[in-house]
Amino acid sequence: MKKRLHIPSLGGARAVILHRPHATVQALGRQLAAIGLEFSDQWPDLSAYTLGADFVFFDADMGYDAQFPWDPGEAPMPMIALIGSEAPGRVEWALAQGADTQLHKPVGDSGVYSALLIARHAFEARRSLAVEISDLRARLDERQTVVRAVTLLATRGQSEAQAYAQLRQLAMAWQVTIEQAAQRIVARMAEENDGGRDDKSRRT
Amino acid sequence: MRRRIEIGILYSRQGSYALMSEACYTGAMNAIAQVNDDPALDIELVPVERDPKCSIDLYQPLCAEILRDTSARHVVGCMTSWSRKEVIPGLERAGGTLWYATPYEGFEASDHVVYTHACPNQHLLPLLHWAFDRYGRSAFLTGSNYIWGWEMNRVARDVITAAKGEVLGERYLPIGDTAIDHMIDEIRASRPNFIVNSLIGSSSYAFLRAYAELGRQDSYFRADTCPVLSCNLTECELEELGEAAEGLISAGPYFRGQVGWPDHPKQDFGSSLEASAFFAVYTLAGLLSRSPQAETAGLADLLASSEAAKAGIDAETHHTALPVLIAQVEGGKFDVLEKWPALAADPYLSRRSRVPYARWPNLTVVK
Repeated sequence: MKKRLHIPSLGGARAVILHRPHATVQALGRQLAAIGLEFSDQWPDLSAYTLGADFVFFDADMGYDAQFPWDPGEAPMPMIALIGSEAPGRVEWALAQGADTQLHKPVGDSGVYSALLIARHAFEARRSLAVEISDLRARLDERQTVVRAVTLLATRGQSEAQAYAQLRQLAMAWQVTIEQAAQRIVARMAEENDGGRDDKSRRT
Repeated sequence: MRRRIEIGILYSRQGSYALMSEACYTGAMNAIAQVNDDPALDIELVPVERDPKCSIDLYQPLCAEILRDTSARHVVGCMTSWSRKEVIPGLERAGGTLWYATPYEGFEASDHVVYTHACPNQHLLPLLHWAFDRYGRSAFLTGSNYIWGWEMNRVARDVITAAKGEVLGERYLPIGDTAIDHMIDEIRASRPNFIVNSLIGSSSYAFLRAYAELGRQDSYFRADTCPVLSCNLTECELEELGEAAEGLISAGPYFRGQVGWPDHPKQDFGSSLEASAFFAVYTLAGLLSRSPQAETAGLADLLASSEAAKAGIDAETHHTALPVLIAQVEGGKFDVLEKWPALAADPYLSRRSRVPYARWPNLTVVK
């Protein structure tokens, strides 16, 4: 079965239009109001209102990095580029800002609703990928811990393959990742070794 | 001395869905005649008629012809959403306005269109919730193979799924196609609680006749246990359908004999399509009368007037606040079963307050 698009609830959602006063802002505002969003237009600086916004439409023609209170590509909401000039430098800049989709200027009487849906979808995909990547990175960083845990388990008279199987079983029993199970084993064995040596030094 | 103002009339008077567009045509022409007789108005409307014959490729050129060759800036017309979407770019270029008097699937709010019939929060949503309580929550969805059928069924699926119901099947036919046997077989096999019919014209007639026949063979498939629900079926198609229409349930802003909308004295309309086209022309006349500049004014300025607001046209969405009626065909006419007062349109289904039925799915208390 094909995956169905999740339709976000847009009534009462907040949009910020980062654009100087212009017919584009009016056309965009009319469509947003018809859909049921609240919006404000700001230029050149984004106010505090922006951080709570659900969508940001930003001018790709005149925009610059310092307008945004976050690093390029780190916007905490979906970003929609308003593109007038299709010069590659401006497209590049809009992409660096993390544009989730685009709307061409002049904005006519349609296009905003689909831009909202596509931007929301792309933003959520981007965010869930980022979480997944950081999780995978963290697990990669723990490779050495896994090797140490297997080695420690193997010192108890098992082969490496048996030790790894045991590690996996422990991870399953504890309902944690292999990396977390490895951390626990390494910590526990270090503790055992420590405890055997010098109790006093640990207390100080 | 009345000012003469040309007005475009773009309705198909022959072809697969001509019965529906003929109803709109009648409403628009009756309104023009009454406007021209109304001593309270200082204008005379002159119709400029074009007939696209239910052929999708004729709408855009004929609409462009009206805007190019005559002084008309307002066109009343179009039946299918497909044809409406075809003419919008031309309206945009010429600064024209389409008055669209047909129920449609929503998700549009063009600068150049005024919508005077219902969208899903005014037809499909109340109809489904009403049906859930009476028949159950498992549905079979049918539709003509274009945006109306697709989007109506997508919305229906969302609402049904959110209400923990089930969609047992979803089938489409090209406009004008009458090969409905397969659809009927699937309905017979799946035994839903109700059917949502978003077929149009001759496909719809073929389907309803075959379904009536199915009901004669198996009493489960009768209106008491498994009715057909529709958001675009009106009186204008009852004669064509005859016996096959009995028991059909439809939602709309008007059914014959009802009063309240359109707000016009001594007016009996044949159907909501006729009423909606009449309303469109009469409202437009009110906006143009007594103000010579209005003829060349942009639509945004016209709709910003208190008169437009009084008529129920929302300057934000260009849609009309309409009563919601649910009616069932009995003895060849619609018998109104439920009625809610005028409700503002929510073309993008984003404002939950704009649903007359209390139990809008997202507000259901989770047990």
